[in-house]
Amino acid sequence: MREPNAVDFWRGVALITIFVNHIPGNVFQDYTYSQYGISDAAELFVFLAGWSIGIATRGRDGVPEPAGRTVLRLLSRMVEVYRAQLVITAIALAMLAGAALYLDNPLLVEWHNAGPIFSDPIQATVGWVTLLHQLGFFNILPLYVVLLGLAPAFVLLARVHLGLALGISVLLYAVSLVFEINIPSWPVEGHWFFNPLCWQLLLVLGFAAHEWRRGSERFLVWRRRLMPLGVVIVLVGAVLSWFNLRPDPLAVPEPRLLFIFDKSYLSPARLVHFLGVLLAFQAVFGLIQPRTRWLTRQLAALGRNSLAVFSVGSVASLGAQLIRFWTGGGIATDVLVVGCGLACLSFTAWFVEWRTRSPRPSSAA
Amino acid sequence: MAHSLSPSLLGGVSLAMAACLVLPARAQTPREPAHAEIPSLQATAPSPDAPDPSLSPECRVPGSKLYTLAKLKAVKKALREHRAVQVLAIGSTSGGLGTAATYPVRLEDALTRSLPDIEVTVESRGVSGEIASGAAERLRNSVAELEPDLVVWQVGGNDALARVDIEEFSQSLAETVGWIKSHGIDVVLVDPQYTASLAKDDYYRQFVQAIQKVAEREQVPLVQRYEAMRYLATRAISAPKGEAAQAGAGFRLADLGYRCMAEHVTRAITVSLLQPDGAPAPVPPAAH
Repeated sequence: MREPNAVDFWRGVALITIFVNHIPGNVFQDYTYSQYGISDAAELFVFLAGWSIGIATRGRDGVPEPAGRTVLRLLSRMVEVYRAQLVITAIALAMLAGAALYLDNPLLVEWHNAGPIFSDPIQATVGWVTLLHQLGFFNILPLYVVLLGLAPAFVLLARVHLGLALGISVLLYAVSLVFEINIPSWPVEGHWFFNPLCWQLLLVLGFAAHEWRRGSERFLVWRRRLMPLGVVIVLVGAVLSWFNLRPDPLAVPEPRLLFIFDKSYLSPARLVHFLGVLLAFQAVFGLIQPRTRWLTRQLAALGRNSLAVFSVGSVASLGAQLIRFWTGGGIATDVLVVGCGLACLSFTAWFVEWRTRSPRPSSAA
Repeated sequence: MAHSLSPSLLGGVSLAMAACLVLPARAQTPREPAHAEIPSLQATAPSPDAPDPSLSPECRVPGSKLYTLAKLKAVKKALREHRAVQVLAIGSTSGGLGTAATYPVRLEDALTRSLPDIEVTVESRGVSGEIASGAAERLRNSVAELEPDLVVWQVGGNDALARVDIEEFSQSLAETVGWIKSHGIDVVLVDPQYTASLAKDDYYRQFVQAIQKVAEREQVPLVQRYEAMRYLATRAISAPKGEAAQAGAGFRLADLGYRCMAEHVTRAITVSLLQPDGAPAPVPPAAH
């Protein structure tokens, strides 16, 4: 397995943050960085996914792999993510239904948007399998499926000219933002929690950042020079978030999505804040790795196996929510469920790597 | 002018009288001045203590267990100006098989029947997540996206299941309701449902009460789904006997609760519209 690196480390941090934030009301939530800024771990996760695509679509020697291979690689990853989404959604539905039966509590089958799947199964089954109906907190992988579907186009455009890929990405983002274009949800009215047409920009930025870092001295120089600006943005974000200051969505001018803080459309304020976070924290991994080797190793292991860890984390966070509900919550419960959850994530990362190291049992068996 | 009887008012009165004939309930005196202001409103103020005869039999609940009232200025203004009323239904959207039976469709249907001369459209949005952490923000964006006259907000289910801090939830709810009202948009709150397994859960009861307090303080009508379903639980659900039948009682009640919700919400809206403009809204005593 590869040595701990900044990308895997930060992806591990994002995975833990998402896991903790997906157990609403737990005491540890207040200590995640999502509480101290306008953007959160979702941005980090998608940006790093773009960065990883940059790494994955080049050979060890740094030469871009053949186009056909890149397309197949990304599409097969898309299928893998889609499969993971179906599996974790099915498990989540069974957990909610099982808990509702066991606790004789019909409220539980309505939790997290699950209601239509049980009350209107004919439409909702089509909905969740086609990703048009998403359970609450189970909405990042559908975004990722669409992003991986779009990725081959951007990667191949970038081989013509990186500016071309970036320009089209920014244009798509701006048009979706101004005209409020998003994928609809179905059968429930509304739209996707994460709008892929906007969030694709972060993926492309992540990819572009990787490309620039490989080939551009200027990028490295400016990245360092702009660090103080990043720190200022992070501080402003912390103040806005701490005092709950944000624009009134009914008072801003049109097109209003340009001005408000909106997660679905990755509004510009969130994007700017996230870029600030990147600039401010760019050197942190290098500083802490020599001092906390065990921790960085653990986090990087999570990051290396992000799909499996994310999937287990999604199911574990729902389990933690059900346990909190059942027991009534409290600090002792929170310590237990978050502690067990983190152990589960670590075990998952170890288990996936153990499986790839060990000879597989014969498929004929 | 203030006491003239319009044809639709007569229709409303005769409807109510017909309902009284079917079910022996106390006859109600319609509040004529309020009707005269909104000629198209087909409703009469019911007695707070007897099962409301204008509801379909399986959903019949006394007014005191169904709602607390407050004025709905924006909707009233739209009715006076005879323009279409846009409603945004927020919260869970489950409730039945097929599109025609879903709660937003039923709500639009029931409101259109109660306000026959007015075009009513109901849009719905499910807001996943907790008010206390992020969902309130998304809700504001949904309201801004549609700019409705009325927001019917099924609130608290997710937060209660997540056992978030009640104080934090209340504060966030009050702020959001205040914000919606500050933009001249009416709000009707719908509290979470009742189920027998939660009847003795102190947290859950306090949670429902916290929503009542916010509704009272912010002067918005509240559909007491919890109370209404508790009332229905003592009646309709008691029919099947035996252990096997009892096992699914909570789920059957939940199903009935969904089916009745559109009617209950519509009733709370129409009766709230009967509130006179001047005096503060009378609040029926909370049934605890």
